[in-house]
Amino acid sequence: MLYVVLFFLLFSLLLYVLLGGADFGAGIVELFSSPRNKRTTRDTIYRVMGPVWEANHIWLIILLVILWVAFPAYFNVIVIYLHVPFVLVLLGITMRGVAFIFRHYDAIVDESQVWYNWMFRISSLITPVFLGMSFGALIGGKIILAEDFSSYSFYDLYMLPWFNVFTLLVGLFYAALCAFLASTLLIGETEGEVRKIFSRKSAYFTIALVLLGFILIIYGYVQEVLFIQDFIHNPVSLGAVGMSALLLIPLWRAIKRQNRIASRYLAGLQVVFVLFAALYAHFPYIIITAGKELSLLEGLPPHSVIQNLGVMLLIGGGVILPGLFHLMKSFGMIKIFRTGEDEVGQ
Amino acid sequence: MENLDFARLQMAFTLGFHIIFACIGMVMPFFMVVSHKKWLNTRNPLYLELTKAWQKGVAIFFVTGAVSGTALSFELGMLWPEFMKHAGPIIGMPFSLEGAAFFVEAIALGFYLYGWNKLPEKFHWFTGIIIGISGVASGILVVSANGWMNAPTGFDYVNGEYINIDPVQALLNPAWFTQALHMTLAAFVATSFAVAGVHAFQVYRNKRPELHKKAFKIAVVFGAVAAFLQPLSGDLSAKDIAERQPVKLAAMEAHYETDTNVPLYIGGIVDEEQQTVSHKIEIPGALSFLAFGDFDAEVVGLKDFPEDELPPVAVVHYAFQVMVGIGTLLMIAGLLYFISLKYKSLLKRKWYWLLFVFLAPLGFIAVEAGWVVTEVGRQPWVIYGFMKTSEAVTPMPGMEFSFYMYVVVYLVLALTVTWLMRRQIKVLNAVKD
Ligand code: HDD
Ligand code: HEM
Ligand code: HEM
Repeated sequence: MLYVVLFFLLFSLLLYVLLGGADFGAGIVELFSSPRNKRTTRDTIYRVMGPVWEANHIWLIILLVILWVAFPAYFNVIVIYLHVPFVLVLLGITMRGVAFIFRHYDAIVDESQVWYNWMFRISSLITPVFLGMSFGALIGGKIILAEDFSSYSFYDLYMLPWFNVFTLLVGLFYAALCAFLASTLLIGETEGEVRKIFSRKSAYFTIALVLLGFILIIYGYVQEVLFIQDFIHNPVSLGAVGMSALLLIPLWRAIKRQNRIASRYLAGLQVVFVLFAALYAHFPYIIITAGKELSLLEGLPPHSVIQNLGVMLLIGGGVILPGLFHLMKSFGMIKIFRTGEDEVGQ
Repeated sequence: MENLDFARLQMAFTLGFHIIFACIGMVMPFFMVVSHKKWLNTRNPLYLELTKAWQKGVAIFFVTGAVSGTALSFELGMLWPEFMKHAGPIIGMPFSLEGAAFFVEAIALGFYLYGWNKLPEKFHWFTGIIIGISGVASGILVVSANGWMNAPTGFDYVNGEYINIDPVQALLNPAWFTQALHMTLAAFVATSFAVAGVHAFQVYRNKRPELHKKAFKIAVVFGAVAAFLQPLSGDLSAKDIAERQPVKLAAMEAHYETDTNVPLYIGGIVDEEQQTVSHKIEIPGALSFLAFGDFDAEVVGLKDFPEDELPPVAVVHYAFQVMVGIGTLLMIAGLLYFISLKYKSLLKRKWYWLLFVFLAPLGFIAVEAGWVVTEVGRQPWVIYGFMKTSEAVTPMPGMEFSFYMYVVVYLVLALTVTWLMRRQIKVLNAVKD
């Protein structure tokens, strides 16, 4: 059953990074659109993301619940030491969620739309940056596990671990990943001129992503961040990165040819490889503190709890996944069952 | 004030905010599907208009509920890490089921909001029902987790460790049923009277009375029925507490001396220093009867509990009075509505509509007061009898900044949502019949 729980933990992490990420990314793409294209982008986002955006974000809640039920010792460290960035993430999620709904459900369309729009775009950018920074803090090796909290300064315990160049790079990398996912997804949802715009955007964000990834690894290596060093010395992780680099070639061609489906799945695959590469080298030691590495599997609750959670997740998954699939299919998010005419995509 | 106090204030404030949106998110979908059904049956365009207006309301409230709920899921851990470390695995079951219920709700909402003219009519309507049912289910599940904090079961406590965990028994703790029943009814009472009040105001101002009377009627029926059952369910809760949490009962009633044939106090000013209550109305024997069903039963007073295990008495007592007072009032209002079904001339009176306008906020005030009774009445415990709140709090200093930030952000949000609702109504009223 532990494996079922672990599967759902990683599965919801992956889906949050992918779907939630595409959702954040949509706002980033809008932020970086020329004023003329902002309107089109906005309408496309509403049409494509509207029906599913709420569901996309519940993966985060599922992730959280699995963590606190099945990995309480691990969760405990996260919530104590990452308090500050989490507050910022929550602020971003709040602003973004309400701005999205306000701008589409306000009964009167007037100047207040300007506010909603900017709130949506800016929070779409900063939320994934802070999320990335939180993750960066977990692996950055700067967390001090204190016995006696009063013997450290506030800055050392609660700021330094997440507020540094390395985590900022991780944050920017994740934001770029989001924008890359969203623009690639949107290629498949538009026609003609607009599609050209998104395919150009997608190309830019791919470049940004690769560059940031490169800088991140170099910086981590030079600064002797343990996570990055182990990552580079791990053949499997390196292989996964190599695979994702190889996949860039067909992805690039798919984007250039404005191919609806291939580009979407190739982009998703990129994320799978990157996430896998990042987690593999250290699994299950996903918290690296200044002193030691903490295993996810340390301090597990009794067997009965894991058993129960596993069963709940299987039942829940059995109910939810078909429903979700149906929702995405009904509103055209999943195109694989359509006939070939989309495939050519000129 | 210390860090702990600010952490508690923040918890109270954010939960108090969330509960409003949660109640509306649970109950509004039911109004929406009733109106939708009437549209399908009668094809009266007013019902379609109403359904669409309510649907926008549901969407706005749902999202505000969802983001504040997401914040809460983090907050439970961020404010009370020690609590979640031990309680998390035990009450994991309601939360994991709740996660599933949210998902179902979000999926159904996606279908409903975006499904007009795309989905088959019947199926589209049915997805609205699913929103309502899964909303109520998630409400019941979280309340069951809260019930566990009041009546912890499903584990053995040995040398500071929580072992032999049985998640099913923790879910079905002795408090879950009374609390979940009372809370579900409360959500219906509060939301129904609030929505009915908003529409009654439009009728009072004579703005499209046809439309608003229809809306009023759908909402008030739910509220009137629930308001009738509410005091009955409250009595069950009180009896339950008398048995399991006698300190809370004593605090609710500001009852200091252990005695038999104990009177019930109505109103009264509590002096916690002197341990006395002045300016009260006494009903002889009523407390003994309400708590144990026997006028001569003994009720233990606050003086007989250890000093360091007493909750803040005055707050709990006043909150309880407010809740029961409002409960009684709303029950009478429900009665008035049923009378007006027989004596239709009442509906022509201005004061009739004005009355419902004044009742609009009361249900929500009672909800907040009820939670203060439950949560403050449990102090100083976070897990009743096992863990004190002071042991659970985060070691991080500076909670006051986090508290002030939430206050500012949520107040702005609340104002914006109110303003948006006014705009919805303005647009609704602008249409000419
Ligand atoms: C519309 C709202 C509303 C109304 C009119 C009432 N209540 Fe209530 N009450 C609640 C809303 C509420 C609540 C917010 O839903 C609470 C908080 C926790 C819970 O389970 O329900 C609650 C808690 C609560 C508790 C504490 C339960 C616990 O700590 O486990 C008691 C004893 C009562 N109520 C009793 C009553 C009585 C005797 C009422 C008589 C009229 C009454 N309530 C009306
Ligand atoms: C939405 C309705 C709720 C409201 C309005 C509410 C209100 C409050 C209030 C006023 C306090 C502060 C008590 C004090 O410190 O004096 C509090 C504390 C707390 N509540 Fe609730 N509560 C609600 C539901 C819940 C639920 C469902 C849970 C958990 C499953 C919960 C968990 C807690 C925790 C962990 C604390 C902090 C510890 C404590 O003070 O006991 N609450 N809540
Ligand atoms: C008694 C107290 C509570 C009740 C009755 C309640 C009920 C609800 C309901 C009905 C919703 C759906 C929102 C809507 O339809 O508008 C909701 C949302 C949510 N609640 Fe609460 N809740 C309570 C307390 C809590 C607590 C303590 C937590 C955190 C642990 C929490 C976490 C959430 C989350 C994460 C959501 C968002 C789910 C989504 O995205 O749909 N709730 N709550």
